[in-house]
Amino acid sequence: MTPSDIALSDLERDALTELVNIGVSRAAVALRKMVGEQVMLSVPSVEVITHKAAAAVIGERESTDLVAVRQDFSGAFSGRALLIFPQTNSFELVRAVLGPDASDDEVAAMETEALAETGNVILNGCLATMANMLQQSLTMSLPEVTRGDGKQLLEPPDAIDGAGLVLFLYINFSVRDRDIRGYIAMLMDVPSLIALKILVGEFIARVMDDDMGQGG
Amino acid sequence: MSDTAPTAPLEARINAPASDRLDAVKERLRTTLSASGAAAAWDWDIATGSIVGDAHFAALYGLTPEQAAAGIGPKTFFSIIHPDDATRIRLAVGGMLRGAELFSKEYRLLAPDASMRWVHARGRCHFDAQDQPTHFDGVLVDITEQKRVEEQLRIAQTAGGIGTFEYIDGFATAAVSAQFCALLGLHPANDLPLRTINAVVDPRDPLIIDIAVRPEAGVAIQAEFRITRPDTGETRWVKRCGEYLRDAVSSGLRFVGVIYDVTEAKRTEERLRTFNETLESRVEERTRERDRVWRTSQDLFVLCGFDGFYRSANPAWQESLGYAPDELLGMRIDAIICPEDIPFATEQYSQLSQGLVIRDVDLRLRAKDGAYRWFSWTCIPEGDEFYAAGRDITDRKLLEDQLRQSQKMEAVGQLTGGLAHDFNNLLTGITGSLDMLSTRLAQGRYTDLDRYIGAAQGASTRAAALTHRLLAFSRRQTLNPKTTDINRLIASMEDLIRRSVGPAVDVTIVETAGLWTTLVDPNQLENALLNLCINARDAMPDGGRLTIETANTWMDERTAAERDIPPGAYVSLCVADTGTGMAPDVIKRAFDPFFTTKPLGQGTGLGLSMIYGFARQSGGQVHIDSRVNCGTKMCIDLPRHLGETDESTTPASRIAMQRAEQGETVLVVDDEPTVRMLITEVLEDLGYIAIEAPDGSAGLKVLESSTRLDLLITDVGLPGGMNGRQVADAGRALRPGLKVLFITGYAETAVIGSGQLETGLEVMTKPFTMEALTTKISGMIGKA
Repeated sequence: MTPSDIALSDLERDALTELVNIGVSRAAVALRKMVGEQVMLSVPSVEVITHKAAAAVIGERESTDLVAVRQDFSGAFSGRALLIFPQTNSFELVRAVLGPDASDDEVAAMETEALAETGNVILNGCLATMANMLQQSLTMSLPEVTRGDGKQLLEPPDAIDGAGLVLFLYINFSVRDRDIRGYIAMLMDVPSLIALKILVGEFIARVMDDDMGQGG
Repeated sequence: MSDTAPTAPLEARINAPASDRLDAVKERLRTTLSASGAAAAWDWDIATGSIVGDAHFAALYGLTPEQAAAGIGPKTFFSIIHPDDATRIRLAVGGMLRGAELFSKEYRLLAPDASMRWVHARGRCHFDAQDQPTHFDGVLVDITEQKRVEEQLRIAQTAGGIGTFEYIDGFATAAVSAQFCALLGLHPANDLPLRTINAVVDPRDPLIIDIAVRPEAGVAIQAEFRITRPDTGETRWVKRCGEYLRDAVSSGLRFVGVIYDVTEAKRTEERLRTFNETLESRVEERTRERDRVWRTSQDLFVLCGFDGFYRSANPAWQESLGYAPDELLGMRIDAIICPEDIPFATEQYSQLSQGLVIRDVDLRLRAKDGAYRWFSWTCIPEGDEFYAAGRDITDRKLLEDQLRQSQKMEAVGQLTGGLAHDFNNLLTGITGSLDMLSTRLAQGRYTDLDRYIGAAQGASTRAAALTHRLLAFSRRQTLNPKTTDINRLIASMEDLIRRSVGPAVDVTIVETAGLWTTLVDPNQLENALLNLCINARDAMPDGGRLTIETANTWMDERTAAERDIPPGAYVSLCVADTGTGMAPDVIKRAFDPFFTTKPLGQGTGLGLSMIYGFARQSGGQVHIDSRVNCGTKMCIDLPRHLGETDESTTPASRIAMQRAEQGETVLVVDDEPTVRMLITEVLEDLGYIAIEAPDGSAGLKVLESSTRLDLLITDVGLPGGMNGRQVADAGRALRPGLKVLFITGYAETAVIGSGQLETGLEVMTKPFTMEALTTKISGMIGKA
């Protein structure tokens, strides 16, 4: 398997972007409920890139240490999903989630737990929605909080071979008065990416048929 | 959900006119809507798939407002989307219908009239309590014009290297352009976190977007900062210009601006700054270097004004001439120039003052101790001043003098050698003849003695002529200048000249009428003329034309300077031939003694040098105009003399030998016994009483005595402290009116006096014939 086999066509990329858009919309709805503020989402773009390139993208954008909520998923396509924040943002996120009444000590004490829960809401909302759209089901592991730089975080799990690629989603969460932003990276091996590509193709066909049929 | 669509008011506005004009009206409306960028609204009921549009929507789709208000199907919704965009939009709409929240797409519409328009569709999904999508509503805005402008802007940004950004206060990200990312060395993105943007900036410099700054709306700010590009690690200078605007949507502030690379400008600026900072020190350094040269040079440097005064001088003046630089200030430039060089210096100064650079001008300056030193000057005028640099060439001049001296000595050596040779030849003839005489006399053979006597006399005569020529060359011959009409002199020699040159040479004499007279020794001039004519003849072995020409000429300053004679009126005597001519190198050496082009034995090489010496001694000059195979013209220029022609220019004819009267006594003072003896014998033969004295003091004793003396004959050069002149003076003091005849080997003009001799004093130059002596003595005593 070579990367060219799993290269996405423009149409596939558009479709995948819409799938992610649906998932992120769901996640944003959930996040909005948690944070109680308007959440702005930049329209995400999607790339399939190597681990190294992904690490470089994050390293370029975030000079400080990062914190990630990690969840492995398995099903029609398998891999590891990472919601990545700059370390300095995690505190803000936790404060936003806990509300303005929480003291600094409370925020500090609950940081990891709150991060894990927030990550779970976002990743679950995103991945589950995507799987649903693709008429598949995914099994998600429990969220796990890890810290490190982009390279360490994006290190592929042992199950994924070294040639593994990253479905890299640029998702900038901009929450008014809260300096929060993040990225979602989905680390998948090549067979999973091929499976995903096939599923996306089916999704495209479905959308074309169904929507035209609908009320047509 | 169609009942929720905001179409009712629009419908109310547009009544349904049945006329044919309706289409035109609608078309106009549609065009107006498009042009004004007004929004066309839709509402999509997800459950039924019915899409309700307002009148603007209807106009875009070419529907009646009623049709649009009644609802259309998705097929119609997608029908006017450009085929290239249709799939993308259908996918996006599909996403919306399946739970995506926000819709924001740009795409092209193909209107019923086939015109193409860009629209921006913005939509949002509405969800029910179970988070299930129910409605998808939105607006279409015609952005054709905006697209065009955006395209222009994109091109402008790319071409101009200008990146744009827009930041809404309170957000953590900013919207940026592709060029913005490219300028900062970031991966292209539409939105970038502020941290990402600001992280490239050097910590010492202001941030690109600083959230801490919260200025008033309408404030424009700009800043420059260094960035380190994450992709290449390169450091660049970037300039940011931005303006804070009141955001219409959020009521917050928007910071909109551009960035562009100013690295080159900054580098230039930096270089300029460094240049300016170091300029002073570099000027100082340069000045110091110049100063050092000024101070340490051994050459004289001086700044002078055209007012004629020294203004500034370097220390070399002290070293070289003993003047401290201060001493020269205010001194006139010519004050220490050697007086002999002043005319030349004045001439050069005049050129310099006309703005000309003068180089290698050799002038002597007087040192403080009075000695003169030679300097070679280069002077450069600048405004009302000039700079002069002088190199001491005294040593060089000395060497040149030494060289000249050694050349002179070489010439003297040549002269002496040649002279000795000629003299030896003549002496051989004389001694040989005397030996033969002696032998014949001893043998008692008295016949044919005349032959030997004649031979000895001939050799002696030639020897006398030789020394005469030598003296002429050394300009020590005794000239007897007389006011002379050269035309007459030529006329008297014409026969002689014609005989001398022979029949093959045609002699032409061109006499200038009214020729000026000149003061010259006519005998020597005759010699010179004859010599020139013979040279001319020799140059024309196959015959030719000989032209003797006289002329009045006026030497101007330049010509006179060239010929090394004073300017003024001259009489010139030229002898021209049509012979072989002379090459330049021959002309150059023509006046050298013993230089001859004639075969060995045919010439002594003294002819021209003698003429040269004679001309120079007479205050004139000789010059040669000749080219190989084009003949030669030799001219003698003699200064004009205002005076009556001396009629007795013709050589004195032999006068009858006159016997002395009784008791007439002559005192002969000469250190050479032979000469004394000969003179005494001649005197006694003539009947005079002769008294001999070997030196001045012995002569003086006779003069002091009461002995009768009618004539004193004395050598000029005498041993024993008194010379002939002193003896004569003493004698004339004791015996006023005493006649004196100086006999001398050469004209010791300084001794005898350079002017005309007093009455009663005459000179005879050795060697002389006894006959000449007899004539002279008789003449002098007879005049009494």
